[in-house]
Amino acid sequence: MPRVEFLTGNQAMAEAAIASGLRVFVGYPITPASDLFEYLSDKLPRYGGIVFQAEDEIAAINAIIGATYSGAKAMTATSGPGFSLMAESIGFAAMVEAPIVVINNMRAGPSTGIATGTGQGDIMQTRWSSHGHYGIVAFAPWSVQESYDMVIKAFDTAWRLRVPVIVLGDAVIAHTREPVEIHEPGEASVYERKKPRDPPGRFKPFKPDREDLVPPMAFYGEGYAVLAESLSHDERGYYSTRQEVYESLVKRLVEKIERSRDRIASSDAYYTTSSRVLVVAFGSLARSALALVRMLRKSGVKIGMWRPKSIWPLDEDGLVRAAEDAEKIIVMEMNLGQLYLEVSRILGPRGKTIELVPVISPQLPSHEELLSFMYKAGVKIG
Amino acid sequence: MPLEIIIAGRGGQGILLAGYLLGRALVEKGYYVVNSEMYSAETRGGFSRSDLIVFKTREETDIIKVSRADIAVFMYHEQMYSYADYVKQEPKLVILDSTYIEKPARNWPNIVKIPITELARDLVGTSRVANVFMLGVLGYTTGLVDSDTMERTILSKVSPKWREINIKAFRRGYEYAEKNIRRVYIEV
Repeated sequence: MPRVEFLTGNQAMAEAAIASGLRVFVGYPITPASDLFEYLSDKLPRYGGIVFQAEDEIAAINAIIGATYSGAKAMTATSGPGFSLMAESIGFAAMVEAPIVVINNMRAGPSTGIATGTGQGDIMQTRWSSHGHYGIVAFAPWSVQESYDMVIKAFDTAWRLRVPVIVLGDAVIAHTREPVEIHEPGEASVYERKKPRDPPGRFKPFKPDREDLVPPMAFYGEGYAVLAESLSHDERGYYSTRQEVYESLVKRLVEKIERSRDRIASSDAYYTTSSRVLVVAFGSLARSALALVRMLRKSGVKIGMWRPKSIWPLDEDGLVRAAEDAEKIIVMEMNLGQLYLEVSRILGPRGKTIELVPVISPQLPSHEELLSFMYKAGVKIG
Repeated sequence: MPLEIIIAGRGGQGILLAGYLLGRALVEKGYYVVNSEMYSAETRGGFSRSDLIVFKTREETDIIKVSRADIAVFMYHEQMYSYADYVKQEPKLVILDSTYIEKPARNWPNIVKIPITELARDLVGTSRVANVFMLGVLGYTTGLVDSDTMERTILSKVSPKWREINIKAFRRGYEYAEKNIRRVYIEV
């Protein structure tokens, strides 16, 4: 039975990980993710899990990649500067199809920026942090309840598709308390790996099933020959430079996520029917944006809002539907235009006017302050 | 409309703990509470701010940050000036710690100006529990949370070493308010 607790976003994420069956957490402290680490340090060992502080973020992410190959649900949590250090191994995890969960609580960047300030500047970094082309999944919660729910969904997606999944929190949600419904440890419904169906002698660690393009996963110590090969590899996991091997591998890493798009991509729409103006916002800023939308509606403005819950992949169909009645789209985000690029790509060819309200502020603006940012950007509702 | 509460001061004054305890107690009472925190990187000094948005039920919970506080508690002059604009023109209650605040930043009605930090030191034995002494004052003055709920919250959420002294701080604050402050019952 779920119970209601009064938790911060970070505590809720930690609880969700435990509910999902987390066994290994490896981290390196950084604001605003340190308190998640601290909370798990106290709690996870009581359920038989391991919490370990690595020498840096690079070691942290590599350790959890190894842990998943040994059969453990594993996670790390960080913020921008640490996430940048993890970039190489995000690609590594994608290539060896390690089902890791990485929490990146965005803070004010670039570089070390403002440690205790919030931000939403890691949208494109999340998609393209590592070199080469690969698929990635990212969710962005706007409340403590979603922080909880999305971490469970992250584990489910990671293990279903064998992909690294990023949860893009932000400093505000990480440190905001709200009542949240949580499950007991291990009680969340999370996909368990597809076990090898072939006997050890015939098993190929990167041979995908035709339907979902995901290879069944054998763990170390189960008697199978398991290779985690970051070089271009064939179904056996052997290094190969052959054109068709390389091409089918890279395409599959992207295509397996595309095929499951319906399961992953999600969004919410508010007051979109016959609204001439559509605000697009996500994460904590979407809370202030929705409050602003409500305020403007009270004064008679026909305005609605669309909020992506998954950032990668984006719910493109949901956005197109939400924008049907709108002439003008206003993207509000705490950067100088990142999701804006995606919204422009999707809605630009449909003849919509797309404008940007960039919010560069270490603190979340209230809905009234957000209105000032709108004026500052020269964006008009009429 | 939700009830908006802002508590602000310097880092180290226990602002965040006070906000958490009050929020937790209000959740106990059945309210829906959004409690956000803002602070600078320093553990001492710098700024510290806890916002509480209190709803009767779980509707319209889009707001995270206080923009028009009904209740404001300022424990230090600098943060009072920084956040004075986030207080309604006619707030229901403004509590100022006169240990660190000489005069109010605005011409607010319903000001309670008392030397919270000094009183905590003199009546409880340490200024470190000024935050919970303040909760006693707030608890009595507003009637928002009863003593039983608040004390239960303190017992369950404060580390064992600090439980007894915090209960004492809450009681002394409550008693002090009973004797010296006129109640302004506040409802959500």
